[in-house]
Amino acid sequence: MKIGLVSPYDWAHPGGVSAHIRQLSHHLRLLGHDVKVLAPSSRKDVADPHFYRIGGVVSVPVNDSVARISLSFNLSRRVSQILEDENFDVRHFHEPFMPALPMTVLRMSTTANVATFHAFAKSNVGYYYGRPFFRPYLRRLHRTIAVSRPARDFLRQYFPSADPEIVPNGIDVETFRPDHTPIRHLRDGLLNVLFVGRIEKRKGLRDLVLGFRELQERVGGVRLIVVGDGPLRSQAEGLIAKHRIENVVMAGYVPEEVKPRYYASADIACFPATGGESFGVVILEAMASALPVVATEVPGYLSVVEPGVDALTVRPRSPVELGAALTVLARDRDLRARLGASGLAKARRYAWREIAARVIDVYRSAREIAGAGIEDVHEQIPGLGPA
Amino acid sequence: MLAYRGFRILQWVMERLPRPWAYALAIVVARLAWVVSRTARRRLEFNLGMALPHADRRTIRRTARQNFRNHSKAYADLMRLPQATVGQLKPLLKVRNQQFLDQALAAGKGVLVVSAHMGSWEVAAAIWSATITPVALFAEELEPPELYDWYRTTRQRLGISVLPLNRTGLKQVVQALDAGEMIVTAIDRDVAGTGILVDFFGRPAPIPTGPAAIALRKGVPLLPVAVYRLPDDTYMAEGWEPIWAQPTGDREADLRRLTERLVRHLELIIRQHPEQWHLPHHIWESSP
Repeated sequence: MKIGLVSPYDWAHPGGVSAHIRQLSHHLRLLGHDVKVLAPSSRKDVADPHFYRIGGVVSVPVNDSVARISLSFNLSRRVSQILEDENFDVRHFHEPFMPALPMTVLRMSTTANVATFHAFAKSNVGYYYGRPFFRPYLRRLHRTIAVSRPARDFLRQYFPSADPEIVPNGIDVETFRPDHTPIRHLRDGLLNVLFVGRIEKRKGLRDLVLGFRELQERVGGVRLIVVGDGPLRSQAEGLIAKHRIENVVMAGYVPEEVKPRYYASADIACFPATGGESFGVVILEAMASALPVVATEVPGYLSVVEPGVDALTVRPRSPVELGAALTVLARDRDLRARLGASGLAKARRYAWREIAARVIDVYRSAREIAGAGIEDVHEQIPGLGPA
Repeated sequence: MLAYRGFRILQWVMERLPRPWAYALAIVVARLAWVVSRTARRRLEFNLGMALPHADRRTIRRTARQNFRNHSKAYADLMRLPQATVGQLKPLLKVRNQQFLDQALAAGKGVLVVSAHMGSWEVAAAIWSATITPVALFAEELEPPELYDWYRTTRQRLGISVLPLNRTGLKQVVQALDAGEMIVTAIDRDVAGTGILVDFFGRPAPIPTGPAAIALRKGVPLLPVAVYRLPDDTYMAEGWEPIWAQPTGDREADLRRLTERLVRHLELIIRQHPEQWHLPHHIWESSP
């Protein structure tokens, strides 16, 4: 199939949805499909021949976080030109209600349209007031996908008629493996607790720092490693300095090539988000690295973890509970190994290969609905498409 | 503590400046250091005099001045590392004689890269760590400890392990080599004080024997490499043929022979780029 993946987010900036699209397009190609990506980009020099840059980027605060999206409404001509040239079989929109790029594309789209909803929040004024505006667009989507149950429920809150298929985020099990080389000096006998994520309010690093202090009071020889950067970094560093918490390593933004080695240097992974998560890719990364996970009970995380089997879960915004869960794990090597092994088994079920195949099924059904279900030659060749 | 504060402030500025500006600032700092740190200057001039016995005073002084400037630029590189990505650094590094590194790695025993205190090793180490095989550096414990922590975290971010020169560090080196990794050491200064006296530029100096000892015991290849700055502020990593230890049974003699062989390579590397041999420290007995 000829597939166009459309994203509203800055392609040049690391982020959940962009990473998702990168992986998905890669694995769709491995399955023998022709995939192009359309997205805005803050950098003009993206050399990928499968990528179309559409407009620049502005930063917009959304959902306690910052979205880097395109706000230019004058894209129609460029987009229609590309669509005409490419003549896709399927157009797959990510976060279709994010202004403004995917909307412009959707308006002009006439073939099979699929959309994936990633986001989740308690409420969204944009969705609320946008209902009359969005509804006609929603009707043009032949099939929809939500990355998790919370993401689906969120969508239904505003559009009760929506019936998205749940296809979770995938994990690159070739990149995230348990057998990576650790950073040697971090394997010096201390027990390492790892946090990975942007340092912003909703990721809850503050709670973890305080929880780590509780852990340190009860169990000696522990270290907290913080991978990631963000607006609240200096605040977190201030908190660490104020309470004189020892053995905290602020690693900053770590290159993607090196990140798996941080997981390989850790004993426990902790994700203390306070809410607003629709999934938990970092949790899958930790699981694929065979790490036991401590996570907060927010809907997105709960759709990935199985409490007691591959993770210990605590209530959000509770440093005390975080500290207690970390203490239990820090004291129990067997428990860590057991949770880690179950996590690894789960991560393999989320391998991108499997996920991409499920997305293809959705494409097929969308094409049937769109009446464009003409079998093309590619799918007749055994091994290229799922029969 | 005050020194560390100063370092962090300068570092904060450096990582926010465009590269050419950072280097311009580095040159200003080098001038200041030239005036302020008399001891370092005298020691460096002494060491350069050892390396270049036929050079006159003026040449030595000029080389020392250039050396300060390059050293300051190397610090600027280090200070900019927290913002660096492998993608940005990669085009800056050229490699000469890559085949020797490949040869050494092909044995599957890991590699001990032996070098002098030269150039911006961080850049080469970061790129290799991300693209070839994980790299670990030996580093002397710096004062104050906050500075050492900063070094370690900054390098670790790019996947470089920083190992201390003690028993734990040594154990980790063996583990790393068993996993086929690259260890980078500089042996032109005996920090731990456990070296043996070897002729270095014709006069005995204490040289650490760690790399030679590991090579003898585990059959790990020793690879002399120099990383130096080119006039356009890119870097060159130049390798020489790997050295394989051939134990004869007499451990003392083997150790001495192997270490001497490594020192001959060091002399070669240093004489090639004396203006980038950043070692304003006490090495020889008679040094100021």
